[in-house]
Amino acid sequence: MTTVALKSYGKVAVAIVIALIMLLPFVYLLLGALASTFSLTGTIDLSSYRLTFANFATLFARAELYLPLVNSIAVAVIVTLGNLFFCTLCGYVLARRKFRGKGFLMVTVVLILMVPVHVVIIPLYLMTNWLGIFDSYLALILPFLVSPLGIFLMRQYISAIPPDMEDSARLEGASELTIIWRIVIPLCKPALAVLAVQTFMVNWNSFIYPFILTSSESMRTLPVALALLQGYQNIDVPQLFAASVISVLPTTLLFAAYSKKITEGIIAGALKG
Amino acid sequence: MTANSTQRLRFSDYFFLSPWVITLILFWLSPIVASLFLSFTDYRLLGASYSFVGFDNFAQLFRDTTFTKAIANTFIFTIGTLPFTTCFAILLAIFLNGRLPFKTFFQSVYFFPSMVSLVVVALIFTSLYARGGYIQLLCGLVGAPYPQEGFLFSTATALAAVMAMDIWMATGYYMLLFLAALQSIPNELYEAARLDGASAWRQFRAITLPHLKPMLLFIVVLNSIKSFQIFVEVFVMTKGGPLNSTNTMVYFVYEEGLQKFNIGYGAAAANILFAVIAIVSWLELKLIKDKTA
Repeated sequence: MTTVALKSYGKVAVAIVIALIMLLPFVYLLLGALASTFSLTGTIDLSSYRLTFANFATLFARAELYLPLVNSIAVAVIVTLGNLFFCTLCGYVLARRKFRGKGFLMVTVVLILMVPVHVVIIPLYLMTNWLGIFDSYLALILPFLVSPLGIFLMRQYISAIPPDMEDSARLEGASELTIIWRIVIPLCKPALAVLAVQTFMVNWNSFIYPFILTSSESMRTLPVALALLQGYQNIDVPQLFAASVISVLPTTLLFAAYSKKITEGIIAGALKG
Repeated sequence: MTANSTQRLRFSDYFFLSPWVITLILFWLSPIVASLFLSFTDYRLLGASYSFVGFDNFAQLFRDTTFTKAIANTFIFTIGTLPFTTCFAILLAIFLNGRLPFKTFFQSVYFFPSMVSLVVVALIFTSLYARGGYIQLLCGLVGAPYPQEGFLFSTATALAAVMAMDIWMATGYYMLLFLAALQSIPNELYEAARLDGASAWRQFRAITLPHLKPMLLFIVVLNSIKSFQIFVEVFVMTKGGPLNSTNTMVYFVYEEGLQKFNIGYGAAAANILFAVIAIVSWLELKLIKDKTA
């Protein structure tokens, strides 16, 4: 009995040590963001430490930081809504119909998931230039409105639902859009929740696409602004840390509220292959 | 109504499919084809005209010491992170799969770093690795040697520092995938093994490892595809320096193609990276499959 208890204490101790290794860098980030002063070497002087929200206040007074915040929110929300809608439509057709070229479409969905995306940054840049959408909201939104992962997820989920209700609705003369809106979407709520959380997180944290597809300061998203403002003369570390905390905040809140949905989404995304 | 008539493609379905078809053509297929095409030209963004140069870009790339250095660094990065990340992830998954109070809490905490924006993590570690920063203080505390100028400013430690951060960040993500695989192993197998008096190590070798193989294979391929494309860390933390000691293939593609606008040259480098990733993934699939068979 006592050895079992001891063993259990030992395990908890190990678990706590690992947890500290994982969390201490974020504690440092938070303390830094709330610090009134910061030493030049990047350490926090605890003897003169005073908690302050001043860094957050100045941050909102600076256009180079609050504009990216607004951009990030707008892009992530629009892309998420777009994915919920378009991936459902596409997944529905792929789950329910038989047609020539369906196999090809399914293969593209899986293949694009495997393609090393960073390989196409140059032609993607040229393409947005050619379409005339470079450095605009359209460049940040259009390429990502419908994602292969989302289509895959929705197709799998809809395939598992028996089509009986759709068939009877169709017999009563309902249009396809009505069927999707009234029958398919309500049944797909769990899958849509997973897709929403997943898409929001990915796009909120996305760096390389918004970085290469925009050039002006006012079009930057939060990760891009953070990366480019680092090492800048008139931005100090606590302000940068405050902006970082704001960037981490939605992810943390979503994670705290929907950790199960997030893990489900990640496992679904990983197991598709 | 027969099954066939409900499965027929309807007029509205073309509209439902079009968003993906358009996205696919405009933002995926065309760029891939364009990348192939461009790599055989001397196209520059500001140049008025371009011409075909055959394999000149590729030949020049292999004479370019910056590029060969970038290839070497990318391989070092992948080979130096992947085994550690995978081992730590398996160990953590097994640890969490056992009996442990507050299991879900610890699982979430270990997973948390991989949820955060890579840019933010890179910013935190840039400060931690700085001259006089916390990692140097820690090294001083345990008596380990460290570069005075800061870890990211020494050619000896910069790449290793980026790699260490990456292992720290990615472990929790792969842990979660391993955990899902572990939980699918039927408990009866372990009970039977225990009745037979099998040691913990034997149980691991005979039951756990064979069941983890498919996930292990998948994770090794996924992780190397990701590792070969390392960019954000380099961009935020070192800009490829000092003296190209952290320059990587995607960073090279970015610098040549989108900074100096040597589009053809950059595209050729991107295609080499594509080929490397394809070959490595194929080799890994073959190697691990042969071993399991």
